Amino acid sequence: MGQSMSAVASETSRVGTQAAVAANGLVKVYGKGDTAVRALGGVSVEFQAGRFTAIMGPSGSGKSTLMHCLAGLDSSDGGSVHIGGTEITGLNDKDLTKLRRDRVGFVFQAFNLLPTLSAEQNILLGLELAGRKADKQWFDTIVDVLGLRDRLKHKPSELSGGQQQRVACARALVARPDVVFADEPTGNLDSRSGAEVLDFLRMSVRKLGQTVIMVTHDPVAASYADRVVLLADGHLAGEIQNPTADSVLSALKHLGA
Amino acid sequence: MLRTIIAGVRARTARLLLSSVAIMLGVAFVTGTLVLGDGITEGMRDEFAKSARGVDLSMSTTGEGPQAETGISQATLDKVRSTPGVQGADLRTVVGAAMLTQSGKAKPATVGPLASTPELREYDLKEGRYPTSPTEAAVDVRTLATAKVSIGQQITLLDKQDGKHPFTIVGTFAQGANSMSLAGSEHFVVLPEVMSGLTDELHAYGLVAKAAPGVTQEQLVADVKKAVGEQGYTFRTGEQLTTETLAQISSRSSEMTQVLLVFALIALVVAAMVIYNTFTILVAQRTRELALMRCVGASRGQVFGSVMAEAFVMGLFASVIGLLGGLGVSALMQVVIGAVSDDNIVVRLPLAPTTVLAAFAVGVLITVVAAFLPAHKATKVAPIAALRAQLDSHEEVARTSKVRIAFALLLGLAGVGVVAFGMNLDEEQALLVTGTGTMLLLAMVVTLGPVLVGPVNRVLGVLPRALFGVPAKLASGNAGRNPKRTAATTAALMIGVTIVSLVTVVATSAKETANAEVDSRFPADYTVTSSVGSRTLPQGMAAQLAAVPEVAKVAPVAAFGVPGPADGGAYLMATTPEMIGDLVKPKATSGAITGLKSGDVAVNSRFAERSGLAVGSTLTLGADATKRDLKVVAVVEGLDASGLVTLDTLRAFKPADDGFDSIMVKLRDGVTAEAGRTAVEKVTDPSPIAVIDSAAETKAQLNTQVDQVLAFIWALIGLAVVIALFGIANTLTLSVLERTRESALLRALGLTKGQLRLMLVVESVLMAVMGAAIGLVLGIGFGGLLVKGMSSDSFPIAFAVPYGQIAVMLLAAVVAAMVAAAMPARRAGRTSVVAGMAEA
Ligand SMILES: Nc1ncnc2c1ncn2[C@@H]1O[C@H](COP(=O)(O)OP(=O)(O)OP(=O)(O)O)[C@@H](O)[C@H]1O
Ligand SMILES: [Mg+2]
Repeated sequence: MGQSMSAVASETSRVGTQAAVAANGLVKVYGKGDTAVRALGGVSVEFQAGRFTAIMGPSGSGKSTLMHCLAGLDSSDGGSVHIGGTEITGLNDKDLTKLRRDRVGFVFQAFNLLPTLSAEQNILLGLELAGRKADKQWFDTIVDVLGLRDRLKHKPSELSGGQQQRVACARALVARPDVVFADEPTGNLDSRSGAEVLDFLRMSVRKLGQTVIMVTHDPVAASYADRVVLLADGHLAGEIQNPTADSVLSALKHLGA
Repeated sequence: MLRTIIAGVRARTARLLLSSVAIMLGVAFVTGTLVLGDGITEGMRDEFAKSARGVDLSMSTTGEGPQAETGISQATLDKVRSTPGVQGADLRTVVGAAMLTQSGKAKPATVGPLASTPELREYDLKEGRYPTSPTEAAVDVRTLATAKVSIGQQITLLDKQDGKHPFTIVGTFAQGANSMSLAGSEHFVVLPEVMSGLTDELHAYGLVAKAAPGVTQEQLVADVKKAVGEQGYTFRTGEQLTTETLAQISSRSSEMTQVLLVFALIALVVAAMVIYNTFTILVAQRTRELALMRCVGASRGQVFGSVMAEAFVMGLFASVIGLLGGLGVSALMQVVIGAVSDDNIVVRLPLAPTTVLAAFAVGVLITVVAAFLPAHKATKVAPIAALRAQLDSHEEVARTSKVRIAFALLLGLAGVGVVAFGMNLDEEQALLVTGTGTMLLLAMVVTLGPVLVGPVNRVLGVLPRALFGVPAKLASGNAGRNPKRTAATTAALMIGVTIVSLVTVVATSAKETANAEVDSRFPADYTVTSSVGSRTLPQGMAAQLAAVPEVAKVAPVAAFGVPGPADGGAYLMATTPEMIGDLVKPKATSGAITGLKSGDVAVNSRFAERSGLAVGSTLTLGADATKRDLKVVAVVEGLDASGLVTLDTLRAFKPADDGFDSIMVKLRDGVTAEAGRTAVEKVTDPSPIAVIDSAAETKAQLNTQVDQVLAFIWALIGLAVVIALFGIANTLTLSVLERTRESALLRALGLTKGQLRLMLVVESVLMAVMGAAIGLVLGIGFGGLLVKGMSSDSFPIAFAVPYGQIAVMLLAAVVAAMVAAAMPARRAGRTSVVAGMAEA
């Protein structure tokens, strides 16, 4: 099934030869001296535009660290990261912030929303920070696809966990970023709500040509992706194209997770 | 459990330290005011004690007999001195003289005799020696500083007839008084025999004596009574004198202490609110931790105990520092007072046990009481709260708001009732009762706080939103997200600002009213007065001034008290008949003042009321030979005396007095103020005591006095405001810690560091302006009520709002809020996005 879907994706203009996000020899070291932890030991990986990639690996393997460095949330100690052709490794805080604002979307595991803002305000927050207007049609499409229409005026505390994550997805997509990063977006959800969110992410890639990079522990969640990148001990440990839950599980067993 | 508490305190050292600042400031303020009050009392006690020290017998006149007029005579002193059992005796007297300053103008001075018995001296030698020859004098150390003279130099004193008496300064003495306990003229001590040369009516008001060894004070009194006769004198033993003088002081200084305590109370309320708020936030932030403790088996009592124990430790620690700070505050205030009054003062820091007790009562008790509610709330934390992700307080506010509104309504009704009642009372009572009423209304607004925060925040948020966009929008949302917390934070500032603006409005109203009165009462361009209260202007000066070509008219004014035949008497003011109704024109409420003749009197309405006088009735004044009936021809308002008469009417009561207290001068039309002043100065310059006042200068003088009092009050309440601002900084810091994750999320989504900081600054300013704005509205309103309450038909006060000062206050609140936000904003900006996201 992966084959036919990627054929649809390749029709959109976003898919090119150029990678949406690329890391080259990425190194991240926490701490100093004896207690130093080499969380990323020279990772080189490319993420094609218009594709849905899952990053997997045992706990402590450096998944979150990789994502933070790729997204410009954290600085790296070696190597380089490109987002949409821009090298971000040398950027200062202000430019990084601008880059995130304009070209990156985020979905975190929890605490995705500001409690003082309504669902709608939360969705539009990123655009507002950038001083941009939302594309009304695009906004409506997203809201309707995610089934948030009658929840727009609600505060996060009045939404279920699944609804909160869907609002976060809507916010990530409404600005049409170059890439959406999701760190265990379904980690706090039951399997049905999780499936809804994953369905939406996959749909946004297949139908809308988004680029999504997702960190997950869950082989079932990973099976929604086009490709799985495996990490172990801060190094690339292989990858699976068109994964299924079973193929992911066996690969992970191989890694000893 | 104890280990958990200690570990908890350790882990939160920074937060607790920050919160302690509020308590420290509160304690510092309370102890500061108490120490200041005690210092003032001690200063007075020292001074008064000096007048009683060494004295075994004190004699004063009773007001009957010949000595009531002339004072105690030299003959009486001689009689006392020769009485057996008397080791030494001296007269106590002072003479008002004038001291010639370097500018050639005179300043009022007081001269006293050097007691021949060293033990009976009311002062201590500081430098040099006491005078030993008639041309020598010793001078108060303070005079030495203000008059800029030094030992060995000459100083000239003027007598009543402007006769010059040069003295060489040979020493300085201290009276044990400080500027707070003794108002200012310059003080000199000379040999007793010199005194009579300075005045022709030396009046000794007292006689003190020291007993020979072995003679008791009672024995001495009995012996002296026998020697001089009891008629017309009051005798006291030294002990009686001491108790009496000390009683006098405590009643005087306790008034001052009471005033200070009122301010201390305000600071206390503000500090208590800040402390309460801090603990509420601390507990709210620890909900998860407390719930976890409950999960692992801690009982409700243990949770309550741990919060209370923490409060106790914090209160104790803060009290110690606050107590020390209070001593500093007191010393600072005394130095400031000294600087304002241009005086070198002795800084006194008496630390009474009650002060220490008060410090700890305030620090520990208030902290523990303030922590009680939050601690109680902590026991209500359900163990499952540990697992819940987000805590919000919206429902809580909704639940309590009914009770809150009902309670506020009650306070409001009581406040309105009390204010309405106060409106119908007289001046001072009105001030007290109306003031109490307004405080009830203030309490109402404080109670309503959480309900008010929403709407006020929305209104105030409009401007920053328009100016700064998204960060301001987020800030406004933050300020309104927890109404209770925001209300408690801003309430402290609101109380401070309310009281500052209330006092300022009342003072400004009084000032403006007084200024308007000066304008209406001084139709003259200049008033020549004597710089020395006890000395009048020479008779000839009025004629000399009238002869100046630039001068159109001159109104010489004399005034003194005239005794009545039975009781009372009256303070009469007089000028020439032509000038009554011209340059001197109080407003007549009945009758007319123009054409007031010799033997007529226009009486002040209040005096008329008190003495039952009306137009047509007779006022009898004077005693014996000078007794005379005056016909009341008018009742007037705005007169600084009981009655206005012609000069010859006044002179008849005291023929010896022929000088003028002041001379009003009206310039010819077209003469510039400058030319006029120069012309007038030509006449007044030769006289050392004549000084020229213009209405404008009089106003300036008056305003300086009011402003000084106001500055003092501002300084006092300023401390409360500082505490309140610390409260804002505190809340903000704690909120920033609480919202670390949120800030990280915002940063991840594209909020720059600068915008994040801006957000916090706007939030802080919003809170400060919320408090300040409501405070200003309340303060001005309450000020209006007080002014209206104090104002009466006979003494109307116009309501005046000092817009300039109010703008300054608002601006100061904004700036202070920005400063308060600086630390939290820096901290928030520094946290990295990833670290922020990881925070639990
Ligand atoms: N702030 C930090 N300071 C020190 N070491 C860190 C820090 N953050 C992560 N590490 C270490 O870096 C390594 C990689 O951590 P990372 O969070 O990327 O793992 P992960 O793959 O996301 O794990 P998990 O599946 O548990 O989320 C781990 O060994 C971790 O202990
Ligand atoms: Mg992780």
